[in-house]
Amino acid sequence: MPNPEGMVFVVDDDASVRESLRGLLRSAGLGVTTYATAQEFLGGPRADGPSCLVLDVELPGLSGLDLQHRMTEVNLEIPIIFITGHGDVPTSVRAMKAGAVEFLTKPFVDDDLLTAIHEAIRRDGAARRQQAGMSELRDRYQSLTPREREVMGRVVAGLLNKQVAAQLGTSEITVKVHRGQVMKKMQARSLADLVRMSERLGRYTKV
Amino acid sequence: MTTRRRAIILLPLTVRATRIPPRNRLGGGARVTRLRWLREWSKGSVAPFVWGGIALALLTLIGELFDAQHGAAALLYLSAVVLTSLWGRFVPALLILVLAILGLTYLFPSEFWTFQILGGTTDVVALITFLAVAFLVTRLITITRRVAEALRQAQADLAHVSRVTTMGELTTSIAHEVNQPLAGIVTNASACLRWLAGDTPNLEEAREAARRIIRDGNRASEVIARIRALARKVDTEKQPLDLNAAVQEVLALTEGEVRRNGVVLRRELAGDLPSVLGDRVQLQQVALNLVMNGIEAMSTVKDRPRVLIVRTQRGAGDRACVTVQDSGVGLDPKGAEQIFEAFYSTKRGGMGMGLSISRSMVENHGGRLYAVLGDGPGATFQFTVPQRQ
Repeated sequence: MPNPEGMVFVVDDDASVRESLRGLLRSAGLGVTTYATAQEFLGGPRADGPSCLVLDVELPGLSGLDLQHRMTEVNLEIPIIFITGHGDVPTSVRAMKAGAVEFLTKPFVDDDLLTAIHEAIRRDGAARRQQAGMSELRDRYQSLTPREREVMGRVVAGLLNKQVAAQLGTSEITVKVHRGQVMKKMQARSLADLVRMSERLGRYTKV
Repeated sequence: MTTRRRAIILLPLTVRATRIPPRNRLGGGARVTRLRWLREWSKGSVAPFVWGGIALALLTLIGELFDAQHGAAALLYLSAVVLTSLWGRFVPALLILVLAILGLTYLFPSEFWTFQILGGTTDVVALITFLAVAFLVTRLITITRRVAEALRQAQADLAHVSRVTTMGELTTSIAHEVNQPLAGIVTNASACLRWLAGDTPNLEEAREAARRIIRDGNRASEVIARIRALARKVDTEKQPLDLNAAVQEVLALTEGEVRRNGVVLRRELAGDLPSVLGDRVQLQQVALNLVMNGIEAMSTVKDRPRVLIVRTQRGAGDRACVTVQDSGVGLDPKGAEQIFEAFYSTKRGGMGMGLSISRSMVENHGGRLYAVLGDGPGATFQFTVPQRQ
């Protein structure tokens, strides 16, 4: 099913709510997949593109909040919009603190829901792009040899080639060659670029 | 002779005096005494027979002491004793009547009052005795009926209060149950408008959304109809009844509560359940009570699944049998009968009326309600209703 606007997963145990949401979201041009339980959703396929989850708080078995918790545990990062029949403050605070995009009480205004969904899909898109950039960066880093990683760690820490050579017990020429390889493999245009990448990778090699 | 006569005349008063202890005359505890009296009365109404027996024995004795027509007066007098002791209100009126007749009997010889009727000879005292006894018996029956009716009404009122209280506990989940279809309606209506908007409205999708609105609206009104049917204050009437359907309705009503408490509900409804003659509301109230008790009993259970099994089956002797089994805290075998007593409750803030009322309602159907002991970790309750003849 083509979903130009994005994909929405709906988890609600009530058939009326599920079907009405499917209708509404389709009328807004969104792709929809509905599930009656949290377990079904966990077992279901994920979306390739930007997506979000419209999740009922009161679900039989695994509740909405439990599912949110479980998703964090298994690194399933889909923005969540909670819907509930009777929203109480503690629950909504818990949900929002755990990173929910929005917390809506049934029956909700369609615009509120659609605004929240578009916001969630935008966030997911951004996260996906960042994720994709990140994984590419990791791939590049993975392609470095252990020696090149050692050199990179010291270079981004601000050491001169001479100092690096001294620390690693090799010649300055060899370090220069390694450094050239690092710049090429990491596709860094400048030393500053390499430092930024290193920061994003979250690796600060010991000097 | 005077002493004896006085003793006889004063007898109704002494009986009346022993009926209500003096302290109750001051007001304290009078209600309790009256309730106990009412309860004893309801236990098969043996009192009139006991008093009747005593009256017959005394009559024979008095017949020896007085001559025949005085025996007739004594019969009347004793009837008055019996009646006034059963129902104190008649004391003044009857005393006057009795004294008048006794006086007449002693003042005039019996031949003086004799007259011919329907070819036989009778006397006025016997006639008056007959009329008075007839009158008293009629009154007695009326009173008995009135008491039974008052009792039945009180029980119905109590059952209604208990039912409404139980439903009060369900408020949150029932509100949820109504809110769901309403949420569906609002969302469907929004979708419908969206399909209709724009230059090329999608009529088929809009129609589909409108159909869903109708369906959800009906669903909401069904929930409300179920609540109203159960909350209604109705006079008991027994009709042919499908217990499976009645139980299903109760389960629909408690669905939200079951979900809210994280309970897994297992329905095992028999296909061959005999049809029974019963009051739908009453039997549903019994089932509702058992289901709510089961859910409540499992609210503290954390280490095992909360499972509620609701089973209907054909029991022994073609009885319809409904079983509600939970995996909750269970019953103390020693207190298993106590739970059916009125005002006995293990719940905080419980009225202690649920099971007691349930039992009397099932017994009212010629059935039984009891706890099955030693069946799993939780408690199992079962009630049977005889098959419709």
